[in-house]
Amino acid sequence: MIKSLTLVDDDDVFVFLTKKIIQQTNLVELIKVFGNGLDALNFIKENINYPEVLPEIILLDLSMPIMNGWQFLDEFTKINGDIGKKITIYVCSSSISPDDIARAKIISEVSDFIIKPITKDKLVDMIKSIG
Amino acid sequence: MENINDYKYALDESSIIAITNQKGIIIHVNDNFCKISKYKAEELIGQDHRIINSGYHNKEFIKELWFTIANGHIWKGELKNKAKDGTVYWVDTTIVPFLNNEGKPYQYVAIRSDITSRKESEEELRKILREISDYKYALDESAIVAITNQQGIITHVNDNFCKISKYISEELIGQDHRIINSGHHPKEFIKALWTTIANGKVWKGELKNLAKDGTNYWVDTTIVPFLNQAGKPYQYVAIRSDITERKNGEEQIRQNNERAVEHARISEIKNIQLVDFCNIVSHNLRAPLINISMLVDYMDQTDDNEERKEIQAKIKPVVNHLMEVFNELVESIQIKQDTEIEQEYVDLKECINKILIGFDTQIKAYEADIKLDFEEGTMLYYPPKYLDSILTNLISNSLRYKSPDRKPSIVIRAKRNEEHTLLLSVEDNGLGIDLLLHKDQIFKIRKTFHRHPDSKGFGLFMIKTQVDAMNGRIWAESTIDKGSTFFIEFKN
Repeated sequence: MIKSLTLVDDDDVFVFLTKKIIQQTNLVELIKVFGNGLDALNFIKENINYPEVLPEIILLDLSMPIMNGWQFLDEFTKINGDIGKKITIYVCSSSISPDDIARAKIISEVSDFIIKPITKDKLVDMIKSIG
Repeated sequence: MENINDYKYALDESSIIAITNQKGIIIHVNDNFCKISKYKAEELIGQDHRIINSGYHNKEFIKELWFTIANGHIWKGELKNKAKDGTVYWVDTTIVPFLNNEGKPYQYVAIRSDITSRKESEEELRKILREISDYKYALDESAIVAITNQQGIITHVNDNFCKISKYISEELIGQDHRIINSGHHPKEFIKALWTTIANGKVWKGELKNLAKDGTNYWVDTTIVPFLNQAGKPYQYVAIRSDITERKNGEEQIRQNNERAVEHARISEIKNIQLVDFCNIVSHNLRAPLINISMLVDYMDQTDDNEERKEIQAKIKPVVNHLMEVFNELVESIQIKQDTEIEQEYVDLKECINKILIGFDTQIKAYEADIKLDFEEGTMLYYPPKYLDSILTNLISNSLRYKSPDRKPSIVIRAKRNEEHTLLLSVEDNGLGIDLLLHKDQIFKIRKTFHRHPDSKGFGLFMIKTQVDAMNGRIWAESTIDKGSTFFIEFKN
């Protein structure tokens, strides 16, 4: 059981379904959603001194408007040291490009690259590995 | 008698004298004779005159000499004799036969003067001349040679020159050397050549010349100026060798290289397009498909009828979205394929004014100010459909992403840069795009940079595809909250 999970994804249908699946697991108290990287980044920056508000897990899409997943990771890396909490990031993308996968793997902030669609079992594994 | 003694004295002092009898036995020599022959008089008197024979002259020559004097005639000539120590000396010789009462010679008086140094110089000169003529022969055989006077008028050409230039020498002598000028080399190059040789310096280089039949040939050329006493060139000797084959080979290699580079460039562009396409498929087509698949899966496993209806309602918009992306892709691929799209002369001002009519409502509502800054009658040879699409998209973006703080102001400029390019720019004072963040993204499909309900991320992708298809370039400059300028370079 974890307190908070954040979805950073602009895909309404994916967000809708993923939220539903997570809710069914009863493993997460609070699910937050941001439609692009900038909104998520700003939330983290605003609450950098309130670790209890920050999520344990972020599911991060790559292709998003305003600020995409890569750009978010660049910015997140810069502030990660100042966050008083371990945030586990999973890149969660519809991309099947080997370049994208390789690029994500070398970013130490990224725990894994999950190719959509995401299953309930996979989500349970992810959450349990943290909790 | 006194007189005769005086003569004898003068002769002895000035000349080399020897007297032989009719058989050629020496009966008298003077001091000069001893000095030059390095014998003492005792060693000579009573000896055959052949003692000083150097063996240099052939038998016929000697025979002719004896024949002349034996017949009582005076012989004059130049003789090469041998001294006692084996060295040789040249003497200008006059042999006077003294005749008896019967008219037969009873003795010969030989009067000589030393011409060794003259003969040596002559010999040296001859040797040099022979050497020079050998050189000339070698040069004529091996090289293409021409000589011009200081004005560049041809005064001599060799056979090789005639052969390569396909002229006969009569057609060349007296002509200006420019008769073989191919016009290939720039004026500055030719000027530098003349400056060099006119200053008395040797010029070396490769020249492309023109033969009589209009064909060209390449020659490796050395031009040597010959200088007069004053140090000024009075003629120029040009020595050339034919390097046409090498030059043609080089040209072939250069062309092949150029072609290879062009091929590489095209494959690189193709490769980038392929990667882009892979990304598009991966992100933009796969995403809605996953949505559908996830929605269907969810529907299958739920027992709740209400929930099932809710899910079902979500499928249709995804399918519509998928269809839309799919159509956009097909449209962009058509542009890439449509290499023979019809081009026309389009009047830029007319085209823009027509587009602006379509935006009339927005322009009035926003009180937008639109300026056109280019010469009246600026024409563009371009597919009208593309030009319309490019300008419509840029103007539409400038209006859509206007700043909330100020009235939109748009300036459209066009300037003909070189002969064949036209630089068009659309400048606005709108929201601007963070290019540091989005520089690789701005022309990619489905990339949006502002929160706006109408943002689809298709317009800039589409116009870049159109500009690329016509070999043009598109780029942008932008400052957040100051505005954006989009530049398009039309190859025209």
